[in-house]
Amino acid sequence: MEKIDVMLVPVRGFLTEIGNFLPRLGVALAVLLIGWLLAKAFRFSVVKALRALNFHILTQRAGIDAFLKQGGTDKDTTDWIGLIGYALVLLASLIIAFNSLGLTQVTDLLTRVLLFVPRVLVAVLVLVFGGYFSRFIANAVQRYFKAAGISDAELLGRLVRYAVMTFVLLLAIDHLDIGGGLIQKTFLILLAGVVFALALAFGLGARARAAELIERWFPPNPSDRMR
Amino acid sequence: MTVEAKIAAAAATTVTSGATATEHALAPEVPATGTASDPLWYQDAVIYELHIKAYADANGDGIGDFRGLTERLDHVQSLGVNTIWLLPFYPSPQRDDGYDVADYEDVHPSYGTLDDFRAFVVEAHRRGLRVITELVMNHTSDQHPWFQAARRAPKGSPERDFYVWSDDNTLYSGTRIIFTDTEKSNWTWDEVAQQYFWHRFFSHQPDLNFDNPAVLEAVLKTMEFWLEMGVDGFRLDAIPYLIERDGTSNENLRETHTVIKQIRARIEAHYPGRLLLAEANMWPEDVREYFGDGDECQMAYHFPLMPRMYMAIAQEDRHPIVEILAQTPEIPDNCQWAIFLRNHDELTLEMVTSKERDYMYRMYASDARARINLGIRRRLAPLLENDRARIELMNGLLLSMPGTPVLYYGDEIGMGDNIFLGDRDGVRTPMQWTSDRNGGFSRADPQRLYLPPIQDPIYGFEALNVEAQSREPSSLMNWTKRLLAVRSGSQAFGRGRFTMLHPGNRKVLAYVREHGDDVILCVFNVSRAAQPVELALEAYKGRVPVEMLGRNAFPTIGDHFYMMTLPAYGFFWFRLDAHAAPPQWHVERLGVEDLPVLVLFDGLNSFFRSKAVPWRMGMAEKTRNQFERELLPRFMLRQRWYAAKNEPLTRATMSAHGVLGSQAAPWLLALVDTQGPAEPARYFVPLVLAFGDNDEDRVRELTALAVTRVREQATMGVLADAMGDAPFCRALVEAIGAGRDLPGEGGTLHFRPTEAFTEVVGDTLAQPTAVHRLTTSSNSITLLGDRLFLKAYRRLQAGVSTEVEMGRFLTDVAGYKHAVPVAGSVEFVAKDGAVWVLALLQAQVANQGDAWNYTVDQLARLLEAQRSSEDDTRADVEAMAGRVQLLARRVAELHVALGQRSGIAAFDPERVTAADLKAWSAGVRAECQHTLALLPARAATLSEPLAALAGRVASAGPAIEARIAEAARIAPVGVKTRLHGDLHLQQVLVVQDDFLIIDFEGEPQRTLDERRAKHSALRDVAGMLRSFDYVRHTALQQSAQGAIEYERLAPIARQWERRMRQAFVDAYREVAVAGGLYPGNDAFDAARPLLDLFEFEKALYELRYEIDNRPDWVGVPLAGIAELAGVGE
Repeated sequence: MEKIDVMLVPVRGFLTEIGNFLPRLGVALAVLLIGWLLAKAFRFSVVKALRALNFHILTQRAGIDAFLKQGGTDKDTTDWIGLIGYALVLLASLIIAFNSLGLTQVTDLLTRVLLFVPRVLVAVLVLVFGGYFSRFIANAVQRYFKAAGISDAELLGRLVRYAVMTFVLLLAIDHLDIGGGLIQKTFLILLAGVVFALALAFGLGARARAAELIERWFPPNPSDRMR
Repeated sequence: MTVEAKIAAAAATTVTSGATATEHALAPEVPATGTASDPLWYQDAVIYELHIKAYADANGDGIGDFRGLTERLDHVQSLGVNTIWLLPFYPSPQRDDGYDVADYEDVHPSYGTLDDFRAFVVEAHRRGLRVITELVMNHTSDQHPWFQAARRAPKGSPERDFYVWSDDNTLYSGTRIIFTDTEKSNWTWDEVAQQYFWHRFFSHQPDLNFDNPAVLEAVLKTMEFWLEMGVDGFRLDAIPYLIERDGTSNENLRETHTVIKQIRARIEAHYPGRLLLAEANMWPEDVREYFGDGDECQMAYHFPLMPRMYMAIAQEDRHPIVEILAQTPEIPDNCQWAIFLRNHDELTLEMVTSKERDYMYRMYASDARARINLGIRRRLAPLLENDRARIELMNGLLLSMPGTPVLYYGDEIGMGDNIFLGDRDGVRTPMQWTSDRNGGFSRADPQRLYLPPIQDPIYGFEALNVEAQSREPSSLMNWTKRLLAVRSGSQAFGRGRFTMLHPGNRKVLAYVREHGDDVILCVFNVSRAAQPVELALEAYKGRVPVEMLGRNAFPTIGDHFYMMTLPAYGFFWFRLDAHAAPPQWHVERLGVEDLPVLVLFDGLNSFFRSKAVPWRMGMAEKTRNQFERELLPRFMLRQRWYAAKNEPLTRATMSAHGVLGSQAAPWLLALVDTQGPAEPARYFVPLVLAFGDNDEDRVRELTALAVTRVREQATMGVLADAMGDAPFCRALVEAIGAGRDLPGEGGTLHFRPTEAFTEVVGDTLAQPTAVHRLTTSSNSITLLGDRLFLKAYRRLQAGVSTEVEMGRFLTDVAGYKHAVPVAGSVEFVAKDGAVWVLALLQAQVANQGDAWNYTVDQLARLLEAQRSSEDDTRADVEAMAGRVQLLARRVAELHVALGQRSGIAAFDPERVTAADLKAWSAGVRAECQHTLALLPARAATLSEPLAALAGRVASAGPAIEARIAEAARIAPVGVKTRLHGDLHLQQVLVVQDDFLIIDFEGEPQRTLDERRAKHSALRDVAGMLRSFDYVRHTALQQSAQGAIEYERLAPIARQWERRMRQAFVDAYREVAVAGGLYPGNDAFDAARPLLDLFEFEKALYELRYEIDNRPDWVGVPLAGIAELAGVGE
């Protein structure tokens, strides 16, 4: 009998544990369910709100949607932001659920993921606004050069756009805190490379043209020539 | 037009023609000239100056007389003048061509008797002609009883005091001698009186002494004598010389004006409206005094203008005319200048400088015999070397300059002169009536004539006479008649304000005459070579110049210089009409600077809140508001296709739209709903946005169609109607060919080709295609290359387009060859399922214009030929009847094609039933009641004859309804089929001498269901018959100059119309019966009341349309209804 009792203690303990765990599991499941519903509602309202604010037009103009489409997705940026919002709420509910279950390590991991999501969101926003800004600047530059009668206005505009876009991309990546040092160095190397290439081009290939320009911009003083 | 004028015109009608009362109501209105009570009648007058002795000799004594003149009054009247000025006809020794009067109150026995004169005045008045006579009041003949009594009476006696006497011939020594060739002094010694008598002219013409009140009284008594006889005015000869004062020039003295004021006051008191015309050969500023404050003479000659007109064409520079008109002072409102090219005297050169005189002598009188005193004694034609162009130019100038023109007898046929005769007799030779003996002037032996007639080979009466010219349509006389008739159509010539234009080309003289809303532009090329001219007409922007002789509309006046080209010595008179339609081919081009600028931030997306970036959403709303409330309404109101132009358009809302093209170069196909008009409507407005940076040529092209200029950042461009954009039209055709569906806002755009697409389009899209825009009243048409015809419907109606449906049926099913094949269409299917047809693509057919213009031209040509001759026109009429028969066959073939059974429910024919007849009859009766009820309210806005006609039609309601009811009583015959629905001559193209029927849209004012309903094809026939009625009136308006000519030509036009109607109905019946639409000719004839019913229906529709849109044309349907109802006469 004692043996049975001894044998039953762990079972009792186990059952007690289960008895203690089940309500917490129920709560956790309930939290998850509510969280999932909230996440869906949140995604719905975020998407609606963003669309009402014509955020999708902004992302279209920034070229992000076209980029995403090229990547094979039907969703536009607004949908993705909705999805991120959805994930955010779902993650929060998961943390609460796991917390209620006492799974602190999982919770820690999820918290770290959760804290990263807003960075993604901000990075997306940086990309969207940066993308729009790059096109705006490119258009302005293009128009200016066209008005000035420079034949390669379109090329120059495109160069400006890609330059701004590169900068914005680096900013977004930097914001995500992924390989910050490497990116900084890469950017500097790229910049130095471009400047060096230009200097070489100007100094070697277009020497005569450069001389012409300098001659035109800074004509020699006639009185000097007299002397 | 005053009531009197209308009565006078009506009286004239009774004597001139067999035109009906209805036609009279439709005759053009003539301004009030020659009316009994208009005190300013002389401002509209055209004066015809003639000499009794020279005009026509009735008694065969070799000298013209009043009876002869009376017999020739028809010629005077037919010329279109309205006042006759008779040179002196009083008893006289004839030493100064009658200006030496021996008895003021009688007629020279050679010219007839006082009774003859009285009869002449009555006859002239009966013809609406006024009579002005000469009053030579400055002097008499020395044979006058007054002078004979004076020279015999003692010094200081009242008899002696009738003339100016002096013992001293140095008195008034500062006075110039006028007839320097013959007179040495103004004083002549009289042996009987033993004193010198004063004379400003010949020594046998002693001057009356107007310081003596008895003289003035005697002259006034003379005037009253003639006024009682019915004379309408006097030309006061040598008026500046009435009074003499020592130490002065004895011209234009203040006392002289006092005398004239007394004369005027007396006449005004007892004979109001009678005219005093001053002959004062002075500078305008001196002549101005003879108008006083409107209380002296009503008219005076403008002497210096005349030589300057000759000088201008001799120098080929407008300067002499411009200069003298600039020096011409303003005159009181009730006064008028009298202007002339030639008269019975020499072409006087007193009013020119000596240098100018030498120049004039060199140019116009190189033969010294042609010179006399200070002038040139030649007629108009020889002066201008018989150059028709210059003669016409001078007449064009004369008849349009400020003043009342005076024509000299014989100049209307270009008569010559004889400088070998003495004094000025060379220009006073007998009028040349025929090529008979003495030129038809007299039956007397030639040697008995007062002067020999002109007999040279150029100007002689055998070559040049009234009879010959009246039979030659293009003769100078007929041309003069036409010009005078045109002039009589506007009071602006007589009364209008004069504004000189100063175009850069000095060889072109241009001025504007304005009288109320009537604006006339006159442009003359005074040089012998063709000249271009740019006229600054901005003040008349929006008006359409209508050339007055041909009644042809020119392009609308815009902001820029109005360009024109004039042939050598050419001239134009244009009425600048605020209401006339510009030529159909003309494309309105609004000046770029007039267009407002709309600021965009993102191309066409700037209009749509849903397509703007978040921070621009508010701006998008503002932009759209500005576009829909200001810019689009303003644009739409300018468009011919916009219907409710007379109602305010508060907003044009883009309620649905689709976008064609790429994001970089999109076209917006907008469906625009109007707000403001009583009946809201939906329009199709395709828009294109083009920026100058990208394509300047395209922007320039599109500016003509621009809704607005736009600016996006620093780039300017235009937002324009895309129907004029070649890339858009091509994209549309491509989309139709590809059968694309484009989702848009509020629905989807469907582009649908027909089976014939490939065949019709061919290789048009394979090469760059030129586009050409045409404008019509309800649609926009763009021609692509030479194959495609793209029609954009503007005012939209929800539902299946009859044109698309009929086009497909006739092309694909019936195989009817005389309609244009359809290649495809563009439709917008709204989310609620409603279909809106936006555009139709058809084959383009090379054509010779539409049958309307063709038919009007044919009739107008025929009428113009009849203007001056009465040749047999039967061959021409029959030739046209042949064409009309062919047209009728094509129409009948269309109906046969539509009447075939194809298994398509919408097209299969159905039998006409008694119920149909009743319903149609009831429908027309209701329309009739509704339309006739509109008439009384509109009668007030109509001219008097039209109002009378309207009244007659309105009161004939029961008779009309009885005729309408007849249709319901006939036995049902024939079938109901689909039909054209709006068939008239403008819906038919002339193609290689055949006819092609176009535009199967149906009557635009009917609903789509009504247009698609099956009906009797006789409705189309009725439309065509009504069209012939419109042709008749349009051709008449075009060819007849003035009411009299209209009345004469109206019966010819009416006969023509009857023949065309008959030809059409006969040929139609033949094909319709053969095609099985009717069992036989009898069955067709039995359906005649049905044809009448549809003619009523069409005429009622026209009447409603004209009442709302063209009140001047109301008479045409009114007359048609009256005639159909049998109340026309």
